[in-house]
Amino acid sequence: MTDITAGHSERSRWEAFVYALRFLFAVLRARPLFALGYFIVLLVVVLAIFAPLIAPYEPEVANPVDFLQGPSWRHLFGTDATGMDIFSRIVYAPRIDLTIALAGTMISAVVGSFIGAVVGYYQEGGGFGSFGAGFVMRAADVLQAFPVFVFAIALVAIFGQSLESIIAAIAFVNAPIYLRLMRSQVLAIRNMRYVEASYVSGASDLMIMLRHIIPNSMAPILAQLSVNIGWSILLTAALSFVGAGVVAPTPEWGSMIAMGFQNIITGQWWPSVFPGIALAVTVFGFALVGASVEVLADPARRRALAGSLRERKKPA
Amino acid sequence: MRILRYIGRRFLFIGPQLFGIILVSFLLVKLIPGDPAVMMLGPFATEQQIAMLNVEMGLDGTIVDQFWIYLQNLVQGDLGTSWQTTKPVFDDLAIRFPATLELITLSLLLALLIGIPLGVAAAYFKRSIVKKFSDYYGLLAGSLPDFWLGLILIYLFYTIMQVAPAPLGRIDFAVLPPPPVTNFLIIDSLIAGNWQALWSTLGHLVLPVITLAVINAGPILKMTQATMERMLESDLIRYAEMCGLPKTTVIRKAFRNSLPSVVTIVSVLYGFLIGGAVLVEIVFSWGGAGQYAVQGVLNADINPVLGFVLFSAILSLIIYLLVDLIYFAIDPRIRG
Repeated sequence: MTDITAGHSERSRWEAFVYALRFLFAVLRARPLFALGYFIVLLVVVLAIFAPLIAPYEPEVANPVDFLQGPSWRHLFGTDATGMDIFSRIVYAPRIDLTIALAGTMISAVVGSFIGAVVGYYQEGGGFGSFGAGFVMRAADVLQAFPVFVFAIALVAIFGQSLESIIAAIAFVNAPIYLRLMRSQVLAIRNMRYVEASYVSGASDLMIMLRHIIPNSMAPILAQLSVNIGWSILLTAALSFVGAGVVAPTPEWGSMIAMGFQNIITGQWWPSVFPGIALAVTVFGFALVGASVEVLADPARRRALAGSLRERKKPA
Repeated sequence: MRILRYIGRRFLFIGPQLFGIILVSFLLVKLIPGDPAVMMLGPFATEQQIAMLNVEMGLDGTIVDQFWIYLQNLVQGDLGTSWQTTKPVFDDLAIRFPATLELITLSLLLALLIGIPLGVAAAYFKRSIVKKFSDYYGLLAGSLPDFWLGLILIYLFYTIMQVAPAPLGRIDFAVLPPPPVTNFLIIDSLIAGNWQALWSTLGHLVLPVITLAVINAGPILKMTQATMERMLESDLIRYAEMCGLPKTTVIRKAFRNSLPSVVTIVSVLYGFLIGGAVLVEIVFSWGGAGQYAVQGVLNADINPVLGFVLFSAILSLIIYLLVDLIYFAIDPRIRG
């Protein structure tokens, strides 16, 4: 009998999976912008992984003879002032930009939302917990009162200019966002019946948090994640642009724009324009994915979307 | 009377908050490696010279001593000296903050002019092309790097068309700037009646203002649209429509009720741009406050960074206070 139920649940799980996949494709057909977002993100990831196969030139090898060449078939996006091929460098750039943005966002999301969950859980209990929660929130106020960009540069300056310190700086400036988001979620969920029931049945605080509170408050965090990755890519590029991020020969969009800065005044637009477009398109892609997650992760909005899909089908 | 009590309560928190900000920024900046004495004297300084300079600058004590000295000076309005410009930080900031404020105030005004009409139209005409455009605009504006957009504008309007002035500062080198009174060049040239300076200043403002406005109109547009949509579906507006009020009156009423959230987003953007405009400042060699602070961080010049953080913190507090006052003016529920 156990066999039958196991087989049954497996099949229904498979059906649920197929149903979810079908739903996703229906959504993507109805909302082509979402599809565009997933396409862009996928493309950037593919570029990052297969860069050596796609790029026609070495990204960090300068060819002084071919400096500042305009776009041509030989150099698709032209060459910069030192003679490096801009197309190859753009293809290689997501390796470092994505690494920094993904790592920075993940660290801030995990650390920030964990602290936020703890703060939200103990805030209303009174006693030491409340006091500690208040202290953490005031500390977050002070941190957020700093101008983000100057704060990030200062952090990079403190830790020394390296990949790890850029990641740390980005994680640090992003963490308060997740802290606040998670805290407000937990404050709302904490008083739900099922949490009370679990408390009455003798579950420990940690158990309640891991089993009930965190899984039920993930939706807005997930939506924030994707948008935040795009934003972190922008911040990384901005840091590199002022010279506090990734250093020159390493292919990175922001530092490439900075290198082309002088040329643009004299009329060579390609060293700055192409990396800027790549940067903007990537961030746009992550923003679209974020927008789609926001709809799909929210049960009410997902139902509304499913309803509108069905309506659309009927007349046809 | 409620308003006075409310503001009084706000002021109670300002002291501790400012102290926290100064303390954290002091510790933060102190952690940046790099010895200002070595940087000032160059590579050929003897150890004795370095030690003497450190005593002179009050950098020989423990970090607690140094913080105490900084606080004492601060109370007297002395923010220390920048070793890069060799001028008191207060004087430097008195020039650079107006430069930044002039830039971001005009940018946000233009952003409002773009964002609010679009947002209102997109909320009202739900199946129109305006709504589609607004949706795309909101997403795109958030994805464009502002420093890159600035470069593109420079390329188009300075390099190619040659209608914009060179992206080098706030006023032409050839034009005599007006005598500094407020350090806001527009106001100063109006006071002096110097039309040539005014014209040159406005010309230099055009590109950076457009850059920042195009980007920051995105969030304003999104916020206006979202609140207006909610408003237009509210019972209040339904009732107004059923009473047969003209469309323009209905929209005006709905907009008036969505004003608080627009004010909120503008205040948030203003606070953000004080430091966030730095990249555009660098691209246009603006000589603004953010640029000053970034140079300070990159060169272990402590006092400008601290001064900047302090100034912008105070400014944000003033802005939030103003916003609360505006809430009182536009939201009758708070007035009670």
